Amino acid sequence: MKILVSCKISDQGVYLNGEIQQKYAKETDNWKKDIYSKLELDYPKFYKMDALAKMAFIGFELMESVCSFEHFEDNDVSLLFANRNSSYDTDLRFIESYTEKGSPGPSLFVYTLPNILTGELAIRKKWFGENIFFIQENFDAEFFIDQINFYFRKGSKACLCGWVDSANDKEECFLFVVENTEGEITPEELTKYYKQ
Amino acid sequence: MSELKETLKAQIIEQLNLEDLTVADIADDAPLFGEGLGLDSIDALEFIVLLEQNYGIKIADPSEGKEIFQSVDSLAAYIEKNQ
Repeated sequence: MKILVSCKISDQGVYLNGEIQQKYAKETDNWKKDIYSKLELDYPKFYKMDALAKMAFIGFELMESVCSFEHFEDNDVSLLFANRNSSYDTDLRFIESYTEKGSPGPSLFVYTLPNILTGELAIRKKWFGENIFFIQENFDAEFFIDQINFYFRKGSKACLCGWVDSANDKEECFLFVVENTEGEITPEELTKYYKQ
Repeated sequence: MSELKETLKAQIIEQLNLEDLTVADIADDAPLFGEGLGLDSIDALEFIVLLEQNYGIKIADPSEGKEIFQSVDSLAAYIEKNQ
């Protein structure tokens, strides 16, 4: 397996393949919209997404701006995601919608599951491979590699992976695409990408 | 009428959690569903709640929704007519 491209978005900034991207520096609290505008995307559904889905969407679009995935067929790509806090932020906002604002908000409710973000990406790319979202204490490189190998044994040609988390004003997004080729990635290597 | 439209845009942004949008981003005649804001059937439910909570208007016939929720223009016209 080989990592085709990676993207890390943290408080420190936006990194593509390990290199900081000054063009997409997080200059305001509205950084997701800022990057969406800079990428000149036209996808109104973006505005409806919660923070998790927006981060994954932006991270993916950044990767696609430097790496083409056109050679993959619709069923070639599996999606493998995880985070620590599930959909915690949106859960709180949903609770607020019916305890303080009088009625449960349907548009919030649909984001009270973190795996909605995998659906958003699958819809965007029309990728119909396997997809799964795990809740874990921390990013576990060994676990990701095991799962990727499982998908590859089942016939996936690539795997879009991500650790996307948002809670208590702390946001983190690490995405990478792995292609099913000769060679191995060690947990240490993958952890290095994550910590870039 | 223009004041109502501006209020409606702010309410749409709040009710639908379109927090990255501003009132200026929504044109009076822009389609709210499909193209334009890209809203869907879930958001139609939000519009029904918005009309009931903020304007005391209940939509008796759901099939009317498609026409009423077409744009901020059509929403404002419906509110003016039914309040």
